[in-house]
Amino acid sequence: MKDGKFLTLGIETSCDETAASVVADGRFVMSNVISSQIDIHTNYGGVVPEIASRKHLERINDVMDKALSDAGVSAGEIDLIGVTYGPGLVGALLIGVAAAKTMAFALDIPLVGVNHMHGHIAANYPEHHELEPPFMALVVSGGHTEIVNVTDYNKCEKIGSTRDDAAGEAFDKVARVIGLGYPGGPKIDKAAKSGDRDAVHFKRVYLEDGSYDFSFSGLKTQALNYLNSERQAGREIKVNDVAASFQEAVVEVIADKAVSAALEFNRDKIVMAGGVASNSRLRELMEEKASKHGISIIKPSPVMCTDNAAMIASSAYYAHLAGESSGFDLDAVPGLEF
Amino acid sequence: MKILAFETTGKYGSASVIADDGIIHSASGDQEMNHLRGIIGLADEALCDAGISKNELTHVAASVGPGSFTGIRIGVTAARTLSQFLNIPCISVSSLEAMALGASPAASDAGCDAVAVIINARRHQVYAGAWKKRSDGSMEVLLEEKQYMIEEFLELLKYCDSVYFAGDGIDAYEDIISEYRSGASTLYAPPEIRYQNASTVAALTYARAKAGKVMSYDELMPEYMRLAEAEQKLKEGTLSDKICKISK
Ligand SMILES: [Zn+2]
Repeated sequence: MKDGKFLTLGIETSCDETAASVVADGRFVMSNVISSQIDIHTNYGGVVPEIASRKHLERINDVMDKALSDAGVSAGEIDLIGVTYGPGLVGALLIGVAAAKTMAFALDIPLVGVNHMHGHIAANYPEHHELEPPFMALVVSGGHTEIVNVTDYNKCEKIGSTRDDAAGEAFDKVARVIGLGYPGGPKIDKAAKSGDRDAVHFKRVYLEDGSYDFSFSGLKTQALNYLNSERQAGREIKVNDVAASFQEAVVEVIADKAVSAALEFNRDKIVMAGGVASNSRLRELMEEKASKHGISIIKPSPVMCTDNAAMIASSAYYAHLAGESSGFDLDAVPGLEF
Repeated sequence: MKILAFETTGKYGSASVIADDGIIHSASGDQEMNHLRGIIGLADEALCDAGISKNELTHVAASVGPGSFTGIRIGVTAARTLSQFLNIPCISVSSLEAMALGASPAASDAGCDAVAVIINARRHQVYAGAWKKRSDGSMEVLLEEKQYMIEEFLELLKYCDSVYFAGDGIDAYEDIISEYRSGASTLYAPPEIRYQNASTVAALTYARAKAGKVMSYDELMPEYMRLAEAEQKLKEGTLSDKICKISK
């Protein structure tokens, strides 16, 4: 406790971001330290799990130290430690879990394991102080494309998800084939800004009627076929146009389905979360489509869309209020469900 | 001095506490590769058994490898974090050297000049080293700790007339060892002292703490003895698209 506020230290190491953060009363971010490994993994064209684990180990303690000092609090003032225990890369997760439980043991602080996906949704709480469940959530990232009915804090019911590639994965694949490279999402977003989204027609895959599921794997094949036929015809490839057209095909389906889900479940808010939630065209289209039905769109700032530990601390705080806690035998669960 | 030592580089995790009376209190896991779930429980058990509170600890030590990459990371992360939040220095111990120390009394009893420790690193590779006990009890390095091909390591050991082997590399390569050493005196450590154990880590640690061979938490580093596969391939220029990676 400090100045009457309940302090949670969040720890996040599920993929290639080593992060720690101090959040007061679940809503006020006092520090948010993110040490990204992106520069290292770019050399390999994707995240290499073994390298990610090694880097997390080298960085986690300094990141925790900085989170405390940036917040101006001492370790002894922390009331709760929240840590991502899944889903994610097992070797990456276990660094955060090992550090969290050891700190909890050393200082006798309660510990709670956090579902990374609940964390992404909770990223909105520190940024929208009035936001409370229930609402519809759209979680889009490299590993996830999900529509989730959030009935209470950390109570999530998945109503739709991808049957093959996640949106971010599709962005990565297509960015690679059109020569934009890694990481695909931000590169496509940027290139698309000066491209014509009607230049190439990519199929919108809605699957069967009433389904909230997605399928993006066919888009890569379609992009490959398009590039081949253009090259054979001797035409110049306009990368920005391809990027804009491809992006539109992905985000249009996502926005349509998210809005339909909100309507069916009578939700007046859609909360966006995950790395791809910072895609500028997706944000624009969500606003456009939702406003027609009087539905409001809540979205985190770009930094809170990426993997961070403030979102984990916020989620942990609400789990703690709901009476949840984890023992020292907390394990990493790479395939943890919503 | 009151030191807590972790050994999580092998199949089973363990934690030991050593204090000035020299008595070692240990707790060992009985489930394979249960390091993450078990590590704090083992530390707590060893401390309780020793009647020492965690706040009385003066040092924390870890076996930093070689061994299971995952295991190494759990022990080192726990040691670093305890060091950070209890404000005590760290001590680094090699898993091979600790095993050599653990096997050396039995080796002397059996009349062996040398102790060789081999950890299975698959495909005929081992993380290994060889030592000789000096008359003052300290260990002299015969073959430096590194990654060898098992055949290469045995070739280098040929000049030793009698060798006492320890480590899980025995389980994988006993046939090759026997073949290479036919005619020479060769002994294998029994299961009780064949594998990693925190008590030998703790035993090494005490002298090191006394000699001031300590470090801060950010200096305590794993000893994998091997680059990550992708890193190796990038260096060789053979990195292909097939390397295990994921998109974000
Ligand atoms: Zn994430």
